[in-house]
Amino acid sequence: MAALQCVRSLSKVRYNVLHKFSAAVMVVENKSVRRYSTSHQLVGKSSNSRQHLSYLYELYHRRIEVGPEKERHPSEYGCWNHDAEIYAFGQRFGEDFNDMVLKEAFVQRCFVEQEIEKQKDLGLDMEIDMTDNEILAEKGYSLASRFIKAYLRYSFPQLFEEGISAIHDFLLSDEMLFHIGCNIGLKELIQSATYPPEHPTYVTTLKAVIGALIESQNEKKAEDFVLDLIIPQLVGIDVSELWNIENPMGLLCALLKEQNLGEPEARLLWSSASNTIMPLHHVGIYSDKKLLGKSPGETISIAEDMAAREAIKKLLNMTDNRSPLELGDKAKNLELDFNKTNRSVSELNCS
Amino acid sequence: MLNVNMGSNVIPSTFLRNVMKNGIGRHVCQLQRVTLSLCKWSPGSAPAREFVEQDMVDFTRQNPGIVFYLKPRRHRSPVLKAEYLNGYTEEIDLTKLSREEINHWLGLLKGRSGQQIVRLRKDFHTDTPSIQGVWNPFLFKDTELSIKDVRDPSLSEYISPFKSATEKLLELKKKSGAS
Repeated sequence: MAALQCVRSLSKVRYNVLHKFSAAVMVVENKSVRRYSTSHQLVGKSSNSRQHLSYLYELYHRRIEVGPEKERHPSEYGCWNHDAEIYAFGQRFGEDFNDMVLKEAFVQRCFVEQEIEKQKDLGLDMEIDMTDNEILAEKGYSLASRFIKAYLRYSFPQLFEEGISAIHDFLLSDEMLFHIGCNIGLKELIQSATYPPEHPTYVTTLKAVIGALIESQNEKKAEDFVLDLIIPQLVGIDVSELWNIENPMGLLCALLKEQNLGEPEARLLWSSASNTIMPLHHVGIYSDKKLLGKSPGETISIAEDMAAREAIKKLLNMTDNRSPLELGDKAKNLELDFNKTNRSVSELNCS
Repeated sequence: MLNVNMGSNVIPSTFLRNVMKNGIGRHVCQLQRVTLSLCKWSPGSAPAREFVEQDMVDFTRQNPGIVFYLKPRRHRSPVLKAEYLNGYTEEIDLTKLSREEINHWLGLLKGRSGQQIVRLRKDFHTDTPSIQGVWNPFLFKDTELSIKDVRDPSLSEYISPFKSATEKLLELKKKSGAS
């Protein structure tokens, strides 16, 4: 018993009394102790007596040794209505979900397994009518993926397919979906074996919610959901940095050749402080004596590389001052072509 | 919640932020759950009971996205607990508040983003202060200067703000020649 080790300056009688009351304190995570009296009669009035102080001292240290309270689901406190929560979840986004399907979207496989286990332990031989959200998640993911790609191809028509995939992967990465899942209140709604739910659970559930929307209404509604919740995460992010171009100079050469422009020519525009630990070189890329892009760098080769990226950005209409993405009401009636694909870098090199 | 570097003895401060780009797509009310604990008997909870009788149903009808719980607690002062989508919770002690004031508090909680209220450093914020790029010493400078020798006399030439007599005469000549 860990609790026994920390009896400090107390008689055995006092310890036995304490044992009853040890449930009366709670610890906040940052180790500052908050005292809650569960019952006024039992704990009694606070006093300045030496005995009482040592009692508080003991409680304080014992609580620190036991650690913070486990995080519990609100239903354990008796204040939880799952049906109402499910209904409110749909209403919050202005969507008309089928409650049965939406409920299914929150059920994890581990939860179903746990329920079956529980039934076995109780000796009941009943069939559990519960399906997990894996199928819905698969459906939701494929729709989200298809829609995001079509949207990105529409928004960046000249960008290579590799770039489109990079932005798509960023939007549907586990970290991004977890971030979104955290901020739409999935935590309490998820039915999983552990609480708080693990990170991948948020990801599957968010995908499953999109799947549930297809089942409840139609694909258009689900696409609008993706458009309003996932795609806006691109706002404020440098899209061109998501795609790491392996050989920018090679790509630039191929691009210029295709457009019948002259070979790229790198020129050192400025350089400063080259003998110090903070050197600066400005390199510009010219083609047919026209400046395509320029960029600073610590070394000439870095600056040249970055300038080539700038030039590619300009050729692909991806500059920082391009018009913003169409989002919100503007994007409600976009005519997206789901079958179109942008060309890939390998195609360019072949031609 | 606060990710700004701060010293230990300052009032915490932050920048204006938007939760998950809310409102760029559709606007989602960030308040997800309200729990009103009140006593069924004590006079202290009278305005809270009045609120339950007269305003609560209307509130829930107007806001189907917010789950409203009632918690009877004997001989305790009424408390309003708001839970936000990002997991933040806020409690309001309703002691000595009238029914109208409870409504006001609820309205305030409903409009909030779920971010903790701390001092804002500025009333505006942008992640990209300049899409043209920040100023640097080489901006708008003629690249010809980079190949010029530092001792080039043209760099140390005196540029007078006034016109010289020769220039004035030449100008007059030009004018008369033109007319």
